[in-house]
Amino acid sequence: MELLCCEVDPVRRAVPDRNLLDDRVLQNLLTIEERYLPQCSYFKCVQKDIQPYMRRMVATWMLEVCEEQKCEEEVFPLAMNYLDRFLAGVPTPKTHLQLLGAVCMFLASKLKETIPLTAEKLCIYTDNSIKPQELLEWELVVLGKLKWNLAAVTPHDFIEHILRKLPQQREKLSLIRKHAQTFIALCATDFKFAMYPPSMIATGSVGAAICGLQQDEEVSSLTCDALTELLAKITNTDVDCLKACQEQIEAVLLNSLQQFRQEQREGSKSEDELDQATTPTDVRDIDL
Amino acid sequence: MSQPSGDSRQIPHSSKACRRLFGPVDSEQLRRDCDTLMASCLQEARQRWNFDFVTETPLEGNFVWERVRGLGVPKLYLTPGSCGGRDDTGGGRRPSPSAAVLQGTMAQEDHVDLSLSCTLVPRSSEQPEGSPETPGTSQSRKRRQTSMTDFYHSKRRLVFCKRKP
Repeated sequence: MELLCCEVDPVRRAVPDRNLLDDRVLQNLLTIEERYLPQCSYFKCVQKDIQPYMRRMVATWMLEVCEEQKCEEEVFPLAMNYLDRFLAGVPTPKTHLQLLGAVCMFLASKLKETIPLTAEKLCIYTDNSIKPQELLEWELVVLGKLKWNLAAVTPHDFIEHILRKLPQQREKLSLIRKHAQTFIALCATDFKFAMYPPSMIATGSVGAAICGLQQDEEVSSLTCDALTELLAKITNTDVDCLKACQEQIEAVLLNSLQQFRQEQREGSKSEDELDQATTPTDVRDIDL
Repeated sequence: MSQPSGDSRQIPHSSKACRRLFGPVDSEQLRRDCDTLMASCLQEARQRWNFDFVTETPLEGNFVWERVRGLGVPKLYLTPGSCGGRDDTGGGRRPSPSAAVLQGTMAQEDHVDLSLSCTLVPRSSEQPEGSPETPGTSQSRKRRQTSMTDFYHSKRRLVFCKRKP
């Protein structure tokens, strides 16, 4: 008699489809990815009330919600893509920003998850400052302004394509993937990366993940430079651009590590604070 | 380990993520902004498709709209609960354009024609002379089917989904 144990993960996953990982798909992704980038640097030309630090605040909150709700990895970057595209077109008061963040998570979760986030849950996460009805109405507004183009390309779409082309031992792959995903989330919280093509963020994140891990143990047979060249070839990215992007990613990590340590020092009085400051956990374990 | 899987997505008590970021939210302003933005979405769509999505009437423009018969959906699938005052969307909600149309059509017929198809018609006056001749542009009835993205498609899909048993 076979016994089925269901306590691991309530979500059933399909096995990876090799047909979706061939070059045709990769080329298509590279062709269409730019269509889904925000149209302008909106702090300069559209928004009057919203400042860059407010985007970081709402992004950090969204990431916390996604992590606490164990959302699929793509949900957060996709939601940030919706938010940036909306803000690139619609001048918005800062008091609406959290509602918009919630709406974007609502939409991204519906698109990517088997069991999506509910409107009620998201409203609780705003400390009930918005009502589910308002969330639903604004959902339509956001959909309209995004022209219903929700299937945006995100850096996650490229990860498997990149990983399978690297001369990597298989047992290291899941660790590299995990770190790269954390880097991608980190990039999504920083406006600097909002207008970079997702393929470049993905390639830079994989590069940063491997180079970071390399310091502790042998994860790749390539040197960092050789790796960057190979990565650049995979996604048709300019080598220098890619290097610059990877450096920026590493700088963002350092920055966020420092911030984390500071918070730790300040917040050491209450242990709850430590629990809360888990934002992009995994990468913080790496010592640079 | 032994946590029941259903609880894995409950909001933990005193979760630090439950917080308001930018102070109190003015519901009145939200409502006003929502209305303004929805109106501008509708206006954009109206110009894009020369179709009034509020009253569901075709307007002058590049697209020719025609009603398609035979896609009717039995009433059964469109009325949750009773046929009377449909108030399934929760109190206080203004009837959305599509709901208004649904009700209007349903009062008259048993089947609902949510099915308008639109076709792009090349206007002969705008055809510049000596432009590269695409086969068939001379025939005025030649049409190119365009995909209705914004509003109509989603609505139709909704209806089709509900058709399936």
